[in-house]
Amino acid sequence: MTMAGHDRTGLRKVRIYGGLLALLGLMMFPFYTMIASTFKPEPEIFSTPATLVPEEFTVEAYLAVWGQTDVLLWIGNSFLISIATVALALVLAIPAAYSCARNDFVGKKTFLLSVLVVQMFAPVVLIVGLFDVMVSFGLYNTYLAVIIPAAAFTLPFNIWMLYGYFKTIPIELEESARIDGASQFEILWKIILPLAKPALVASITYTFLYAWNRLLFVLTFLTDDSKFNIPRGVFSMVGALQADWRMMLTVSVIGIIPILILFAFLEEYIVAGMTSGAVKE
Amino acid sequence: MSSVKQEYNDRPTDSRIEWLRTEVWESYAPYLLIAPAIVFLLSVVAYPILETFRLSLYQSPTNSPVETYVGVEHYVTILQSEIFYQLLWQTGRWVAVSVMLKTVLGLLIAVHLNQEIAGRKFFRTAFLIPWGIPYAISAVVFRWIHHPQYGSLNAILLELGLISSPIGVLGNPSTAWFGAVLADVWIGTPFMAIIFLAGLQSIPDDLYEAAAIDGAEWWHQFRYITLPQLKSVILIATLLATIWTFVSFDVIWTMTRGGPMNSSATLVIWIYRVAFDQGSLGEAAAYSVIGFAFLLVFAVLYLRLYTRGGESL
Repeated sequence: MTMAGHDRTGLRKVRIYGGLLALLGLMMFPFYTMIASTFKPEPEIFSTPATLVPEEFTVEAYLAVWGQTDVLLWIGNSFLISIATVALALVLAIPAAYSCARNDFVGKKTFLLSVLVVQMFAPVVLIVGLFDVMVSFGLYNTYLAVIIPAAAFTLPFNIWMLYGYFKTIPIELEESARIDGASQFEILWKIILPLAKPALVASITYTFLYAWNRLLFVLTFLTDDSKFNIPRGVFSMVGALQADWRMMLTVSVIGIIPILILFAFLEEYIVAGMTSGAVKE
Repeated sequence: MSSVKQEYNDRPTDSRIEWLRTEVWESYAPYLLIAPAIVFLLSVVAYPILETFRLSLYQSPTNSPVETYVGVEHYVTILQSEIFYQLLWQTGRWVAVSVMLKTVLGLLIAVHLNQEIAGRKFFRTAFLIPWGIPYAISAVVFRWIHHPQYGSLNAILLELGLISSPIGVLGNPSTAWFGAVLADVWIGTPFMAIIFLAGLQSIPDDLYEAAAIDGAEWWHQFRYITLPQLKSVILIATLLATIWTFVSFDVIWTMTRGGPMNSSATLVIWIYRVAFDQGSLGEAAAYSVIGFAFLLVFAVLYLRLYTRGGESL
């Protein structure tokens, strides 16, 4: 490689890393300012103009938050709602996806495309109809009023994700198991699902995040504040006449920790899930 | 049909039962397996859609079971109201500006992530995080950043000398919507970046190698290879982003509730306002039906793109 060529790749590297770090800084800034604020003492957080770097560092907000807010309850509710939504969505999606992947039947194409249209019907334009349904079925102000719509609106993604993956599993594996006397259920449970693990993880992650993050259903269908999840809890603090910014930001930081952990472990699956859900090669 | 019957009658009794089990199961199992999903979607999605259409013809207060049939009165009122056209303009502005910024920023991030760099996995995860956290939390964080007295946006602008006294972005009817756009862009850009990255990775390297031999500069490669190759991915991603931005609720509701003076309200924010602040399910349902019409157009476009080229399902 010539000297000039070497310089050029060096320069290229600087340009790429420079650009990347600038973009990363831009995207990370909101996190930074949120986290930095939670470590400022009470008077400093309310200084004008804001200090970009905390002049004094304290963890007192994190010690106070447990007593002053219901953050633990909200996190517990978020877990409850998310896990139940995942369970319901998968129980419905797995058989449907498996059926479409393994059989050719009249109406399959219609089914799969209608499911795709459901994904377009965002919950908020349906909220009025859903409200009416929830009230008339007596589900208003129960966890189910949140779990059921969340499962419904994640079902399209789950069916498509699993359908696509099930199709790639060779049918010969099932046939040999059937010869060995395995039942249909055993085949699904012991052969197909373990092989479809990447798709399952993507589905679970997507559904979990959806249920964890959504404010709309909890805002509309749950009035009882002991049932609030994290977004609803944070929102209830905004609504207060004199917003307690310090507590609100601290709760926010605590509320995103489970997601950060999820992301750190499952990044690959999340990316695979996101991309295969939207763009088909 | 008759040959099947023939076959059935020809069999000995034992294997008839066996035949029933296998053949009947084989032909109905596919339907039995999708049935729960269908029933569920019909009751949670299709029924509320019908219910919304029905409600739009009634005067129906949120807090009472009394419904009065009013026909298309709500639609007439909406089409004659000034707020409806204001909402259309504000929704269009919100979607156009937000999607454009997400696309440009997402493309910029994707192009940078597509290089051979150390710590790519780290960067990919880091860029993805804003998408994964609750929108309401992001909205709160941006409210804090925009805060007229204590926010860091003011601190930075003052520091740079761009403003001489603190500004309140969200309190001002002419800027509040843009304050919410910034939060929405922050949330939506990671998805665009990841989709674009997947698209970039499917472009064959030799296209770039050939271009490099011909002495094409970075910009030319981007303009004449990357963009054309990425066209369908960009189309799908912007269409999806358009749909999601159109129906985005949590961000605006948490940041401004559509205010001040309805200046940041979009169609979906208005649906919620009318239903749960003003307590009129019927009128809100009529607004929803108008929202359906927009979504239907997007959905048809999306399905067209998705199934283009006669792909088999």
